[in-house]
Amino acid sequence: MTQPALAAHGVAMTFGVVPVLRNVEFELWPGSLVAISGVNGSGKSTLVKIFAGLLRPTSGSVAVFGTSQARRRVGLVSHQSFLYPRLTAAENLEFYATLYGLGDPRERAMRWLARIGLEGFADYRVRTISRGNEQRLALARALIGDPDLVIMDEPFTALDADGVSLAKDLIKASLARGAAVLITAHGTDALAGLDFELYDLRAGRLERRRVERIAG
Amino acid sequence: MNRNFIAMLGIVTALLMVAALYMAFLYVPNEATQGIVQRIFYFHVPCAWVAFAGFGLVAIAGALYLWLGDQIWDDLGQAAAETGMVFCTLVLITGSIWAKPIWGVWWTWDSRLTTTLLLWLMYGGYLMLRAAADETPQSARVAAVLGIIAALDVPVVIVSVRLWRTIHPAVLVTRQGGHGLEDPRMVATLLVAMAAFTALFAWLLILRLATLRTRARLNRLTLEIALAEAGD
Amino acid sequence: MSAFAAILRKDLRLELRSGESTIAMVALSILILVVVVFALSQAGARGTEAAAGALWIALLFSGMVGATRALGAERENGCIAGLLIAPVDRATLYLAKLAAALVFMAVAEIAAVILMVLFFNLSFDSGLLRMVPILALGLLGFAALAIMLAAIAGHTRLGDLTLPMLAVPIYVPALIAGVKASAVLLGGAPFGAAWTWIRILIAFDVIYTVAGYLLFEHVMAEQA
Repeated sequence: MTQPALAAHGVAMTFGVVPVLRNVEFELWPGSLVAISGVNGSGKSTLVKIFAGLLRPTSGSVAVFGTSQARRRVGLVSHQSFLYPRLTAAENLEFYATLYGLGDPRERAMRWLARIGLEGFADYRVRTISRGNEQRLALARALIGDPDLVIMDEPFTALDADGVSLAKDLIKASLARGAAVLITAHGTDALAGLDFELYDLRAGRLERRRVERIAG
Repeated sequence: MNRNFIAMLGIVTALLMVAALYMAFLYVPNEATQGIVQRIFYFHVPCAWVAFAGFGLVAIAGALYLWLGDQIWDDLGQAAAETGMVFCTLVLITGSIWAKPIWGVWWTWDSRLTTTLLLWLMYGGYLMLRAAADETPQSARVAAVLGIIAALDVPVVIVSVRLWRTIHPAVLVTRQGGHGLEDPRMVATLLVAMAAFTALFAWLLILRLATLRTRARLNRLTLEIALAEAGD
Repeated sequence: MSAFAAILRKDLRLELRSGESTIAMVALSILILVVVVFALSQAGARGTEAAAGALWIALLFSGMVGATRALGAERENGCIAGLLIAPVDRATLYLAKLAAALVFMAVAEIAAVILMVLFFNLSFDSGLLRMVPILALGLLGFAALAIMLAAIAGHTRLGDLTLPMLAVPIYVPALIAGVKASAVLLGGAPFGAAWTWIRILIAFDVIYTVAGYLLFEHVMAEQA
């Protein structure tokens, strides 16, 4: 277990001649939580896409558990929910569980629906449920395969107070089973009570700020 | 790209082209049945050859880009497509000019004309895609794939179009291969014209490629300046 | 259940719920057949050649709608990214999308064939049955090509215009072969008479299914 869950070296990204990320060096270890904060346009979402394997950086390398072929072990919560509006909540989770090769996808989907408090919405199509509930469902979708690396791009947006505490519980549970968790956020208020390292992303540069613990 | 080499190639091209013009207009005798019109053939056929060669080059550059990922192959694909498109257009125009007095029509669905037209349309699609996509490695890969897909079509096009024309009742009697190269001077003229157009194609291609390489370098420098100014 | 089956089942289920693709494709096929009948003179609109031509124009353009939607359905809520980060290889994704598109295109094609028989005063006889393999080959080739090109077109700013500009010239050989073979068979000739053309269709299908299978990862590698 001496392998980082995520290791980025010299990652740079440019769109045309516009630099978005510059020489990002980053490591994330199993069982630890890192938060990356930055204003809109600082490159957070681009960085998240690169870490999740959705974008290829212009230069530099990203390794997940030492390889570039570890998609099965990554769970991503993005700005978009990745949920099919015309499928029901249960069907969506079942579909993703199948893609990740999980046993008994139906049963697993129902278990996760209970866990996020949406068992009553199992047969509701996603287009008919609220934005907050869709975000809960997106959390379940990302975590359904018990990923060893969890990447969340502003997971607390659109969530109410109960939703935020649910998301925090899920983060804690992931850390407890040894997963590494990366979160981006505007601020860190929502992370109160959790141990985490904080990085700032400013104009494409990633800088470690300080180890902190906000009293919860 | 070596500047001297480009200049040399330009000079060679110019000399060959002058020779080809002289031979096509003054040296070679008139073809017996078609008369003076047939002389356009010495430009038409070389244009067709380089148009097809350019198409092959686009596919090869695409495959090399997917394989090696080096920007130069992407630039080569673009340069070959643009240059090839020019010659493909010339094939269609010179073909039309020739067809009017010989066949009595500007356009006919002759198998070779049809094949060239399809090639031209594919070139157009490829260049349109490149113009409409961002300059990212992903766009380059997509263009490379399209170049390969289009080239794979060429043999199928040739076979099907030929069958289409021969099975279909011929409206016009086409002189398949009957361009009458009975005189050795005609063969010589054609060979010189082939060399001239190949050199012209290579020269234009390399010039375009050099421009694209310079632009890529300029982009890199602009980026470095932007990075240096923003940092520290 | 395999990833291929999961994606295919998901696509069929989505289509059963909305019917959007199939309805759009059937409607477009009807319109094209009607337009061709009106565009040709009364005499011209009777022959088997005209019927075969109209049928394949309908196949071509409704197929483009089908291919565009096969990938477009994944753009809602960014689902395509969810698929791309999942441990599913691109070739499997390609085959699943191809299979789904083929199902929708087949539905539109059946409707188009029935209308062709009615509009062009043909009869429902064994000539139609003999055409089934020709149409299946034509659809497979088109879907194999168009799924690939729709993914390519997704990388441009031109949107829906890109696909026809790329697909039509490349599909021409299959179109020629399909129209010729259909006209031969509709004219009452035995299956063997169309063999020359069938071989071209088979070659086209093999080339583009294999090319799509091998190259799809390059056009779906990442999503900005």
